[in-house]
Amino acid sequence: MDIGMKKNKGVIKLCVYTAIFLICLLSGFGGVLSNNLMRYLFKIFLYITLGEMWNLMSGFAGMTSLGQQAFIGLAGYSVAVMTTVYKLNFYFGIGVGAVVGVLGAALLAVLLLHIGGMYFSIATWVAAEALGTFFSGWKYVGQGAGMNITISPYPKMSELYILALILCAASLGVTYLLLRSDTGLGLTAMRDDISAAASLGVNIEKNKFIVYLTAAFFTSLAGAVFFINKGTIYPDSGFDISWTISMVFIVIIGGAGTMEGPVIGSVIYVLLYEYLAHFPGWSNIILGLISILVILFMPKGIAGFLRNFRK
Amino acid sequence: MYILQVIINGIMLGSVYALLGLGMSLILGIVKLTNLAHGELIILGAYCSVFLTSRLGINPFATLLITVPLMFIFGYLLQRLLINHAMKRGAEAALLVTFGVSVILKDGMLLLFTADARHISSELGSSSVNAAGMDISLLSIILSIISVGAIILLMVFLNRTYTGRAIRAAADDPRAAELSGINVAKTFSAAMGIAGAAAGIAGFCVSMKWTFYPDSGGHYLLIAFVVAVLGGLGDIRGTLAAGFIFGLIQVIGGANYGMLISYIFLIIMLVTNPKIAHAADDLSAR
Amino acid sequence: MSDVIFEIADLSVKYGEFIAVSDVSMSIPKGSIVSVLGTNGSGKTTLMNTAAGLCAPFLGEIRFMGEDITGISPDMIVERGISLVPQGGRCFNRMSVLDNLMAGSFVKRARGNAKRSLDRVFELFPVLYEKRHLPAGSLSGGQRQMAAIGRSLMSEPQLMLFDELSLGLAPVVIKDIYAAIKRISSEEGTTVILVEQDTARAMQMSDYTYIMLKGSVVLEGASSELSAEEVRKAYFGSR
Repeated sequence: MDIGMKKNKGVIKLCVYTAIFLICLLSGFGGVLSNNLMRYLFKIFLYITLGEMWNLMSGFAGMTSLGQQAFIGLAGYSVAVMTTVYKLNFYFGIGVGAVVGVLGAALLAVLLLHIGGMYFSIATWVAAEALGTFFSGWKYVGQGAGMNITISPYPKMSELYILALILCAASLGVTYLLLRSDTGLGLTAMRDDISAAASLGVNIEKNKFIVYLTAAFFTSLAGAVFFINKGTIYPDSGFDISWTISMVFIVIIGGAGTMEGPVIGSVIYVLLYEYLAHFPGWSNIILGLISILVILFMPKGIAGFLRNFRK
Repeated sequence: MYILQVIINGIMLGSVYALLGLGMSLILGIVKLTNLAHGELIILGAYCSVFLTSRLGINPFATLLITVPLMFIFGYLLQRLLINHAMKRGAEAALLVTFGVSVILKDGMLLLFTADARHISSELGSSSVNAAGMDISLLSIILSIISVGAIILLMVFLNRTYTGRAIRAAADDPRAAELSGINVAKTFSAAMGIAGAAAGIAGFCVSMKWTFYPDSGGHYLLIAFVVAVLGGLGDIRGTLAAGFIFGLIQVIGGANYGMLISYIFLIIMLVTNPKIAHAADDLSAR
Repeated sequence: MSDVIFEIADLSVKYGEFIAVSDVSMSIPKGSIVSVLGTNGSGKTTLMNTAAGLCAPFLGEIRFMGEDITGISPDMIVERGISLVPQGGRCFNRMSVLDNLMAGSFVKRARGNAKRSLDRVFELFPVLYEKRHLPAGSLSGGQRQMAAIGRSLMSEPQLMLFDELSLGLAPVVIKDIYAAIKRISSEEGTTVILVEQDTARAMQMSDYTYIMLKGSVVLEGASSELSAEEVRKAYFGSR
């Protein structure tokens, strides 16, 4: 295929994606969608954001974090404090959540980023647990009982839906651009062979830092929006390992190391979760089994399977 | 006198912590794998003991005779049928598989045993020994003896038996172990079996000492990890010492701050320990 | 030939697309010492690893004591009586010398005689007895090689494969180790295959020699009958 055709194909793809985005956006404004459908899509969009970010770290950069819930908790509490204590607009709260998340990530990055392999996984998790434990003892945020998030007037579902959609599109766009940049090329080299990448002059520290902070930024934003919808936050929900469990499921099942993987994974995750609600208690067991089978027999997930199929 | 009491309490608590970390440390040192399901193995062992005591009326201590072999078999099969295969796909795949197993076990136990708090109550809990003006709980003494005994037993096993030596050899150089006639896959499975058995005993202690829930595994996994890292990854004697230190921190710091201090302590350990950075390189090279 | 203990027939081994060993046949008489010589990359290490079960062949067959052992796992091959002393020895560095040796008698067949084998190893290499409680990682290169040979002996092998025994060792040490191998061969009747780059010493000790180049056997013959010129040409591949 010559470059011209490739470029054309790229333009067509971009047009299709933009069209999908606009359709979703307009149908949000137009009130075409039922509240129920919007609630599903709201979840799917946010999980895509979370999944893409975890995938950016684990699937592309080889940094398997088990502590992304740290940023969700920080952002959720930021929103709670801004709206409930200071009575500020919730958009402002989301912004503060993102800033707090990124600052927290920068601080953690200094400590954790040079820890390698599975110890990084544990360290990130322990850091999140430590934050959770700290919040359980912190009087200002209601200790173990947590806080309500009171926003008046409470945003309509369509508003949250549009917010989640924009967030999702932005996270996909940023991931795409990041992967196409020098950082992205360095990342793949890093994941495949970290010492070879270092000898090729890839600035590993810088790349890891960029990825970690980008992931923290979008994860915080998604976390803030999630908790606005939930209306209440406490340490065990904000800093819950379940957040990361869902990201792992989404990325593994969808396809680690592919852009489309988390999108596929999120749709399956949300739909399967809704369906499995009829069988209380079984959802994580079934998703866990599927994940293990995918790791063993389909290492690139559904996205990888489809790619092979097309070839 | 107060200081002495604190030290004794810390050491008794610490010996149970050491037992919690024992299986984790073994697997980290030998299979070079962080078993994220270790906490759930402990809780599974705890349910096993509770079930046998409450449903079949077996003496709590006698349940060990059933729990330990069952947990050994469970660990062995887990490694043999699942993790050995995942390890062929890389360290990351193996880590995520143990993560999946932990989630499945946790929710499986929730379905099976409900979310109710469980505990084996025994009259030992309220009896205490009086010595030098201190009250020492009889239960704590017995659990400490069981914990330290299990750790010593494992040390002897690793040093004195053919399987023990094979386990250490496979940890040192898997390929050279194969050339010595050792089946590394089976050896790793045996190691996970032992880790399961150790988790079973630890679970018994948990059920006697504290109340637990299906989702308590995460809490115990973190304790196990702190102890294993502090003890030097696979160093059994180090695990015991680490348990004691950790126990003292808990007794001095109290429940909430004790955990927080340990978490921070662990992160400092991870950040500053060159052996861990090195171990991580080893793993990515496999 | 009824007394052939070990036979390789038309063996080929591939690493992906790269053919490391191509159509090699050897037949080793019981109790003999055979040397397999060649430069780096001639395929001799791959050949030994395949014999020990570490690599699976692409084509061909390996027979030991009349039985087909192709594709059997490394631990089962040790159980049958073949032991490879790998390049550099590869001791268990964090374990004591004694534990290294005892790990060698892991196979069920050898456990009963472990005590006697241990005495034999200490008789062959007295220095190992002196250092038996030290970690193997603290030994010198030559002593580590001795410990590795000792570990291999503990499995009571019928056939011992030595991969680049002399690599990186001082000539004095090599002489001692070779003398020990000679004793093992003559006193226990163990069949020995020496894989070496150092042609002169290996040929001097062996009954029969194979020379490998780029994965194939290019010359073979009784060690005493091969001329130095012939060997040199085959070894470096010049016509």
